[in-house]
Amino acid sequence: MTMQIADSVSLPSTDARARAHAVAARDSLRTEPPAIRIAIIAMAVIFLSVFVVLPLVLVFAQAFSRGVLAYFSALAEPEALAAIKLTLIVAAISVGLNLVFGLVAAWAIAKFEFSGKTFLITLIDLPFSVSPVISGLVFVLLFGAQGYFGSWLRDHDIQILFAVPGIALATTFVTFPFVARALIPLMQEQGTQEEEAAISLGASGLQTFFRVTLPNIKWGVLYGVLLCNARAMGEFGAVSVVSGHIRGETNTMPLLVEILYNEYQFVAAFAIASLLAMLALITLIAKTVLERHLDEGHDASDH
Amino acid sequence: MTIEVRNLVKQFGSFKALDGVDLKVDNGELLALLGPSGSGKTTLLRIIAGLDWPDSGEVSFNGEDALAQGARERNVGFVFQHYALFRHMTVFENVAFGLRVQPRASRKDEPTIRARVKELLDLVQLDWLADRYPSQLSGGQRQRIALARALAIEPRILLLDEPFGALDAKVRKELRRWLRSLHQEINVTSIFVTHDQEEALEVANRVVVMDKGRIEQIGSPDDVYESPATAFVHGFIGESIELPVQVEGGVIRLGDRPLNLAVDGLVSGASKLFVRRHDMLVGPPGSGAFEGAVQHVRNFGPVQRAEVALSGGETIEIDAPRDRELRAGDTIGLKPRRYRIFAG
Repeated sequence: MTMQIADSVSLPSTDARARAHAVAARDSLRTEPPAIRIAIIAMAVIFLSVFVVLPLVLVFAQAFSRGVLAYFSALAEPEALAAIKLTLIVAAISVGLNLVFGLVAAWAIAKFEFSGKTFLITLIDLPFSVSPVISGLVFVLLFGAQGYFGSWLRDHDIQILFAVPGIALATTFVTFPFVARALIPLMQEQGTQEEEAAISLGASGLQTFFRVTLPNIKWGVLYGVLLCNARAMGEFGAVSVVSGHIRGETNTMPLLVEILYNEYQFVAAFAIASLLAMLALITLIAKTVLERHLDEGHDASDH
Repeated sequence: MTIEVRNLVKQFGSFKALDGVDLKVDNGELLALLGPSGSGKTTLLRIIAGLDWPDSGEVSFNGEDALAQGARERNVGFVFQHYALFRHMTVFENVAFGLRVQPRASRKDEPTIRARVKELLDLVQLDWLADRYPSQLSGGQRQRIALARALAIEPRILLLDEPFGALDAKVRKELRRWLRSLHQEINVTSIFVTHDQEEALEVANRVVVMDKGRIEQIGSPDDVYESPATAFVHGFIGESIELPVQVEGGVIRLGDRPLNLAVDGLVSGASKLFVRRHDMLVGPPGSGAFEGAVQHVRNFGPVQRAEVALSGGETIEIDAPRDRELRAGDTIGLKPRRYRIFAG
């Protein structure tokens, strides 16, 4: 359930101007009788309560059902600590990689003209359109014992599947689009003139990147990293396929939640789930703050 | 700094942006590149700046090969049409940028940089905006800051790409005058690109008229206005009446009507007759080269603009002084005070 919260975090919405227009238009369109208005609002509130708020409350209620002590001792279990540690490591690796790849891809797409660009943009979205389970299976096909690189890897004693590298790879694949997708429209809108100005003023390539390009896209970068991180920590499907579920070794938090739940250890399962739920809440708040900054950036460049 | 461009060619896909351009710019000149959009003027400017590279040809500064250097080394100040100010920096930091990114060995110390930026902001008369961000400035202010930023690196050449193109008419006029006096003050070799003939004629010492990647004419503002070298220049600069005529056996004909105009030195064949609107003198019917009926009259300050249907079938617009009021329905004679005929 908590994983779904993280999954449903959406990409940058349409720009601020469109929203402002919508607000202006709303006043003139508000012609429905009050009863209908109230009914519609009530439906929305009830739906949200049942499908979003209630499950969230239940997660915390279950986690604390045997008291605070049981909650914290469940989190202090070696298995739980190992899962938290693994999740943090995997998220750090995949966010780091995707930050670099995303920046490079967005830079290439926004600042250069080349053939096959549309294809590249489509390719970036591939991880979103493929079921995570399939993404995981791809890595099994590549690196598994019967896979293309399986025997070579075994000969060289390199463990990818059922180990941290496999989990990190699968997570990186699944979360790749977030940073790139946050940056491409932003960088396309900003164009190349500021970079040209910097270079004609004598700045080197690195100076131009760190003094001009990066400051202009920093909110977009943070936004992409935030969503990428939320998804990386919450990823279940792809990781489940490549992890092997070795207790205390290759279980991430979402995987451990499932295992504990299947073993009827509800307090422990929901204690870990509550951590993921908190991550989701923090992500949502941070996302709102970042979107405000991004909108300000848009307004400033509107003139 | 003199600039010399020889046989420059640049192609974007199937579009020829520059088709063999030769140009010499003298030291301290304020030169205008004038032409319609797609004439190659901005491409030429960007190649001089090092922001674009030609397919072939040479560019040299003071006789040195400029194409051997990147934009970074050329020490050229570039002002963009849409300012391209660094939006996350204050006005002060924008102007200081070029000084701060210098290699450590040649970088000035902080007090020197501050003094220099202050001096430049004084020069563009915007020292009171030092702590603002670009988004808080008006278009005219932004463009002046962009100019101060470009001047901070003490450029050998100043290049301006449609510097006033994004501004409204009144601000544009003010800035034009200001740019001319600024150029007299700092006297750095400058080239600006514009599609606005009035701007080119008012600001520049010399005007280069371009069309379809080629230079049509180079000359003083008076030259290009008074003695256009080609049909394109005549049509593009000033408001002209253009009539298709036929030169044959010492006679110029409009349709089948012979015009009472001198034809010395003209090649026979289809030609184009150009007359400035205000060079058409109005007289009684039968007195001039053309006859026509006034269709419509509007008054513009000291002149009246009349739409006249010529008896040959063409309709033209003329600007006549208001000492003799024209009325719709009048039949008048028209005599060009000055005219030019170009073959083709």
